[in-house]
Amino acid sequence: MLKSKKHVFWEALFVTVIVFITGLLIGISFEKHQSDIIENYYAQSEVSLVDIMVLQKLSDIEGYDCDVLINANMEFADKIYFEALLLQEYESASRIVDDLVLSHKKYDLLRTFVWANALKIFEKCSEDFTPVIYLYEQNTEDLAKKATQKVWSRILEDLKYKKGNEIILLPIAADNNLSSVNAFVNQFEIKSLPCVVVGKDVILYELTSEEAIESYLN
Amino acid sequence: MDFFTILYLSLIFIGFYYFFLFILIYFQNRKHMFEYFKPLKEYSLSIVIPCFNGGENIGRTIENLLKSDYPGLKKIIIVDDCSTDNSYEIAKDFEKKDKRVLVVQTPKNTGGAAGAKNFGAQFVKTELIGFTDDDSYPSKDAISKMVGFFNDEKVGAVTSRVLVRNRDKLLARVQSIEYKVIAFTRKLFGFIDSIYVTNGPLSIYRKKAFDNVKGFDEKNLTEDIEITWHFIAKAWKVHMALNALVYTVVPHKFKPWLNQRLRWNVGGIQTLDKYKKSVFKCGMLGFFIMPYFFVAWVLAIFGLGFVIYRFSRYLFVQYLATTYSIEAQTAVIRFSELNLSPTILFFFGVVLIALGIFYNFTALAYSRKEDKEFKGENITNVVTYMFIYLLFYPIVLVTSIYKFLTKNQTW
Repeated sequence: MLKSKKHVFWEALFVTVIVFITGLLIGISFEKHQSDIIENYYAQSEVSLVDIMVLQKLSDIEGYDCDVLINANMEFADKIYFEALLLQEYESASRIVDDLVLSHKKYDLLRTFVWANALKIFEKCSEDFTPVIYLYEQNTEDLAKKATQKVWSRILEDLKYKKGNEIILLPIAADNNLSSVNAFVNQFEIKSLPCVVVGKDVILYELTSEEAIESYLN
Repeated sequence: MDFFTILYLSLIFIGFYYFFLFILIYFQNRKHMFEYFKPLKEYSLSIVIPCFNGGENIGRTIENLLKSDYPGLKKIIIVDDCSTDNSYEIAKDFEKKDKRVLVVQTPKNTGGAAGAKNFGAQFVKTELIGFTDDDSYPSKDAISKMVGFFNDEKVGAVTSRVLVRNRDKLLARVQSIEYKVIAFTRKLFGFIDSIYVTNGPLSIYRKKAFDNVKGFDEKNLTEDIEITWHFIAKAWKVHMALNALVYTVVPHKFKPWLNQRLRWNVGGIQTLDKYKKSVFKCGMLGFFIMPYFFVAWVLAIFGLGFVIYRFSRYLFVQYLATTYSIEAQTAVIRFSELNLSPTILFFFGVVLIALGIFYNFTALAYSRKEDKEFKGENITNVVTYMFIYLLFYPIVLVTSIYKFLTKNQTW
């Protein structure tokens, strides 16, 4: 009469494993693709970085041309700022592959270098621009902090769009245990994250309006 | 990968497994879905109707049984469990009109259907014993489509398909969808010897098997689940006749519905607790039914817990960000924050929901042919069922576990 077919349990397991692994592979290749895009941008940014380093060396020898230095650094900072936005988008979509964690650290180092460079130029050409450094915590689980960082990003994004080449905006994750970033955090005596360093002296810990930040700019 | 990703992927994997298991069972057996057998002989049958304050429906239940086309139906035993309404009088009227009807009364209220059913079983002398609720209406050919399964001497129980009679309110209409999906799924379970419940509205047992398991467990809130597990534990086969229809009245208000669901779930947990030593023993009971129940419950609780956890965190961050944005005089929402790169977890979730929808529609398509009395399902009801009604399941389950653990099992 009615025959039960219990081999179906194994068949279902087989189909599930195939479908699941296929899904995971698609997911991995999708995340790898995004990671490759970021890596490609990073490789281009490295070229720009070397370019800036050479330019800096030349400036040390031949004297400072503020316009050239500011423009080069501004262009580079803007480039890696917009790449940071893309990186942030991809990072929020990344669940399986960890490649972007490393990319993020590499970008943080790039931005830290630009920060150092910007401070040096700022000493010589302070009237032309202001470096605005946003230090945040990437790995926080504190929801209030996450919300605060979200709003800081909004304010600074608006500020960048409004001020354009008058500021160099550099968001840097300060909790990735990078020696250079830690050195800056110590040098500026940063008490808590997130915070915004405007120029060389102003450190903002509390959320404030765009207009209030503008008042600290040159 | 973080803990939540691993947890989420594990839940997705189990969800996929269940889907493919059911869909493979369906495709391998679809020609046998409505299969039923001609009885090799005319098995004598008695139907017991436990009745407590069922005056509103009991008359129609008896009428429907008397109209049955199965010639072997010898007795219809109405067990009045000390009703305070006119149930007894209504049943007595039928007794006077038809000699197959017997009305008996329990000495005192037994406190549950199981007690009344066991009391009625004492009067049964036939080869088969059936039970129907006092608010259920078996169709004319339901019994004759069920008894043929008893040709196999290892079959101890055969159950029917329950459809909802009252579909005037939204909650009842949604339950009518639920009942169809459950019936479809239960039939699929039948192909792997794993029918886990013989429903109260209409189920028939071999009397020898019924006596073998010593009838219903009167301490259990879902005696129909318990007896089925007992049958399987004793190596009796259980089948379902998908074309044996019985119509029942379901609660159309929230509180009675909730009480019913809590009772079912607490009963289910009681049964799981009672048979816990049978895990990975007793054939399909220990190897599939019990693990299935357990995993399905864990899946439901963790799944909903996961969604609530993530969504509440998201809402909280959004709320704080909005508050802070207002204080900082910046825009509260902006296009650039729209994430156009969904995660792999999102895709897995979407695929699983799509598979779930496909499964539900397959189950509903199967009911259309038999459920002629009613029009096809309204899409609003289907959407309500899939995306709102089912979300209550884990909540009911958690409450039931609490009630079970606190021994708060009075009704």
